[in-house]
Amino acid sequence: MTYTFKIKDKVFSVEINQEKDQTVVQINEKDIPVEFEKIDKNLYSIILDGKSLTIGVLKDGKNIQVVMDGDLFEIEAISERDQRKSSQTLSGVQEIKSPMPSRVVKILKEIGDEVAADEGIVVVEAMKMESELKSPIEGKVTDVLVNEGDAVEAGNTLLIVSSD
Amino acid sequence: MGDKITARKIAQQAKVPLVPGSDGAVTDVEASGVADKIGYPVMIKASAGGGGKGMRLVREKEEFESSLRMARSEARSSFGDDSVFVERFVEQPRHVEIQIMADKHGNTLHLFERECSIQRRHQKVIEEAPSSAISEKTRKKMGEVAVKIAKAVKYSGAGTVEFIMDQKENFYFLEMNTRVQVEHPVTEMITGFDIVKWMVRIANGEKLPFKQKDLSINGWAVECRIYAEDPSTNFMPSPGHLTYVKTPGGPGIRDDSSIYSGCDITSFYDPMLSKLVVWADSREAAIDKMASALKEYVVLGVKTNIGFLIRVMNNEEFRQGKFDTGFIERHPELLTAGEVDIEPAIIAAALAIEDSEETIESDKGPQSNWKLLGRKAGLSGGTLI
Repeated sequence: MTYTFKIKDKVFSVEINQEKDQTVVQINEKDIPVEFEKIDKNLYSIILDGKSLTIGVLKDGKNIQVVMDGDLFEIEAISERDQRKSSQTLSGVQEIKSPMPSRVVKILKEIGDEVAADEGIVVVEAMKMESELKSPIEGKVTDVLVNEGDAVEAGNTLLIVSSD
Repeated sequence: MGDKITARKIAQQAKVPLVPGSDGAVTDVEASGVADKIGYPVMIKASAGGGGKGMRLVREKEEFESSLRMARSEARSSFGDDSVFVERFVEQPRHVEIQIMADKHGNTLHLFERECSIQRRHQKVIEEAPSSAISEKTRKKMGEVAVKIAKAVKYSGAGTVEFIMDQKENFYFLEMNTRVQVEHPVTEMITGFDIVKWMVRIANGEKLPFKQKDLSINGWAVECRIYAEDPSTNFMPSPGHLTYVKTPGGPGIRDDSSIYSGCDITSFYDPMLSKLVVWADSREAAIDKMASALKEYVVLGVKTNIGFLIRVMNNEEFRQGKFDTGFIERHPELLTAGEVDIEPAIIAAALAIEDSEETIESDKGPQSNWKLLGRKAGLSGGTLI
């Protein structure tokens, strides 16, 4: 079975082959002999190049979260149909989203204001900590979608900044 | 004593060294005047503060006004009191604190120091005991000063006297925490003294059964606070559902936590998941043990700071004990995984998919339970002492 995985912008073609006593994983045409054991629900022990690793895996549809040495790697399993879709390039319009459920404390910019890259534009509060969200690009605030005091969910768009 | 401004006054009367700053709470106008007088960088702190909330470092005058507003607003929402004070920021400081134990019969002891300089957002993340930065002479002096402060307020129970220390081991009284602290386990590990048990006994009127001279430091202990947060986005909390949790174990490894597979981390509280504590006979061995215990700690469902903690354990400056409270800010490279070999992650993901489709197991024949046990036991660090 062949899988196509996407991690950040990189695409990997992966194939697992069972040979007699050995599992060989092929990543982008490179053969890697692997010894592995599933030691618990969501937990694999893998021996690779004589090095032993314990790796946690959480599969949710086509999204796979892998935890290795404490770091989280988010992998997207792409079906062949997805692959045919042309990848969309980022335009100069950036949505500033709340990264977590929080409360909007202060909106630092109004519609039409110029912002520099990395400049703070909105302050949110969660778990009694205030955080300033910054604009990823230089541009102009084209929309403000929330009011101060609003409770917002993770992923809600708060402001829109456009570089055009 | 929990109120920082009252604490400062008491310390002044007890002639304990203090960092230059405002005499008590200040209005917005006074605050800026004090900052000008003592010189930047300055620290704005909430009088009722703790855990780094309502605290702001201001490097330049231009930032003062907005920082003051944020500090007051945080103080109001966290403590219901927006009074703040201003003091000089000691450059390259270390945060060293003394654990105090006092009974109601006039016995006040200290249980040596804890090193708490590794902080993010002015909140401790990694603590150890003892501190590698202080000499025996300073340790003794600091302990005596801490006992003096506790006695000045006729304190009873467990308490902590916090100090800020510069590179020459000059130390200043910061505040006293009138409670058992998050990082108390490292002191328990090196002294063999159960702090919580004795808090209860003291409250019950019991007498401490030993004197200062009976106490000594044995070995080295390190604590890592494991949080559901994302170090790469300024340690933003990452609440959510913990689908799977695997905790480490073994000799000298203590996991103080309440998490389990299937529990939820809400956004209403501090996102701490666990306090992982290790003990070993030397600092180097304790750090190595912590690194391997962290690698065994698997949490799925939320982002955690475990990878970051492992990188700190492997950082040469940290290992040599050459750090101060600015360590994390100076090492942004520790916040992300960087260029790692992701092949094992890809392999694990592919295996998990195959497994969910049950195409692997059937080919392999019966498994050896001995082999499985070996793999599971291999999780426990591998080295025994």
